[in-house]
Amino acid sequence: MTSVIDARGVTKSFGSVTAVNDVSFTVEENRIYGLLGRNGAGKTTLMQLLTGQDFATSGSIEVFGASPVENAAVLQQLCFIKESQRYPDNFTPRHVFATAPWFFSEWDAEFAERLVGDFRLPVNRPIKKLSRGQLSAVGVIVGLASRAPLTFFDEPYLGLDAVARQIFYDRLLEDYGEHPRTVILSTHLIDEVSELLEHVLVIDDGRVIIDQDADELRESATTVSGVKSTVDEFVRGREILHRTGIGGLTSVTVSGLTASERRAAAGQSLELSPVSLQQLIVRRTGSTEKEFEQSA
Amino acid sequence: MTTMTSIHTAPAARPASTRIWNAARLQFTNARQAIGLPWLILTIIFLANLAIWLILYASTSGQDRADVSEGLQYSGATSYIFVYMLVVAIQAISRTFPYALGLSVTRRDFYLGTSVAFVLFSFIYGGGLTLLSYIEEWTGGWGVGGRMFTAVYYGSGPVWQRMFVFVALFLFFFFVGMASATLYVRWRAAGLLTLGGVFLAIIVAFVGLATWTKSWGQVGEWFATSGPVGVVAWTLVPTVLAGAAGYFILRRATPKN
Repeated sequence: MTSVIDARGVTKSFGSVTAVNDVSFTVEENRIYGLLGRNGAGKTTLMQLLTGQDFATSGSIEVFGASPVENAAVLQQLCFIKESQRYPDNFTPRHVFATAPWFFSEWDAEFAERLVGDFRLPVNRPIKKLSRGQLSAVGVIVGLASRAPLTFFDEPYLGLDAVARQIFYDRLLEDYGEHPRTVILSTHLIDEVSELLEHVLVIDDGRVIIDQDADELRESATTVSGVKSTVDEFVRGREILHRTGIGGLTSVTVSGLTASERRAAAGQSLELSPVSLQQLIVRRTGSTEKEFEQSA
Repeated sequence: MTTMTSIHTAPAARPASTRIWNAARLQFTNARQAIGLPWLILTIIFLANLAIWLILYASTSGQDRADVSEGLQYSGATSYIFVYMLVVAIQAISRTFPYALGLSVTRRDFYLGTSVAFVLFSFIYGGGLTLLSYIEEWTGGWGVGGRMFTAVYYGSGPVWQRMFVFVALFLFFFFVGMASATLYVRWRAAGLLTLGGVFLAIIVAFVGLATWTKSWGQVGEWFATSGPVGVVAWTLVPTVLAGAAGYFILRRATPKN
């Protein structure tokens, strides 16, 4: 295991508001991380701290073994694509793709050209005249073509339609396969990216509440459905994450079951179903699914 | 951290000169905007002035004509280009700074690179205006006694003096614009309002002092005896102060949305 980020007790306060609260975690090399959480949970602030764009109130952040703040050696390994990125006045995408290679030594111009075609981006139109989705495509192309060893995508697909988002996921996976690197993807479209993610960090109210391998996390909960009384009997004494019911039938989501418990459940004609990453996170963050989807 | 974990460290940074020059190049990327547009607008202003000079020239003769040319030395037609550079400097911080940070440039490299670009711009524009001031002289005011580039504020001394006045004025507007924009990026409107308040207080204090001590005559005399070169030389003080202040303010600034 080789770590590229080591955060220890990181706190960021804005006046009386604590956006990031005593957060500690490490990020391993060459994996795809999901940084998930509701709007205002502290995702963007955390990424700004990790990329040296903002200054931590307390705690230590080491990226590639050193503080990223004003550290050219560290920063030239990073690429941070954010939804709210601003561009110089009257720049066109063409200008962006001409200037980015000066700062990213691994830049692949051919790959960038191919992505321009994939996203049908008008490269000679002034940035301020691009649609929201086209603007997002500019960021996505820079993030992919820069091939930075550590790439951050903060909600990169605002305004991109489902087809364009799928292109983004496909190209990311393809290129990640050929050029392994560490990717941190912040998103609220959890189900859409869940296949992509190898590790999940969930941040809620400024704290990291889940820091787990994505597969382990998926297996950490199961929904048990069946006749109410049988289900109640089965789940007694367990941690119940969620419960719904209609009439005499009920569905209860509980923490991980062992193999023998699964067999026991099948014997009592209870139905077991996996829980999606999104449902799981929604339940762990104590919000409704609707709330989560509305937050961006 | 467990003993099993190792740390991937970053390779050495690119040389500082490369990093700073790359940041400087960001200001030249859209050359049409940075270099072409100001000259285009200056040309339009020049043509409008030329039309007025022609009318004056055609409707006067002899001593009147000389008086008109005398009066035109107070032309402020070129002031636009200095204000334009103030705006270029403000945009460099408000738009290009967040962009540069997005490309993983350090604040230090960005500021130093932008300063390099602005010094180069000052010499490009200063050289251009110096050349135009000579053409204006050689052609007898574009053939009609017009004056725009030999206005009284720039002086009509030897080439190095003209060059110095133009370059120093450009530097002043670039660095003052950049410093005020860093105040905004760092402290938003509160920063600008504080700066405005401080300047207002200084000006009021100066005016009050000059009036109270009845020394306006000396103030006027100072401007007259210092001449354009002497007065402009003094602008280097606020220029350098603004340059240094901008650097330290930006080092701890975060672009906000």
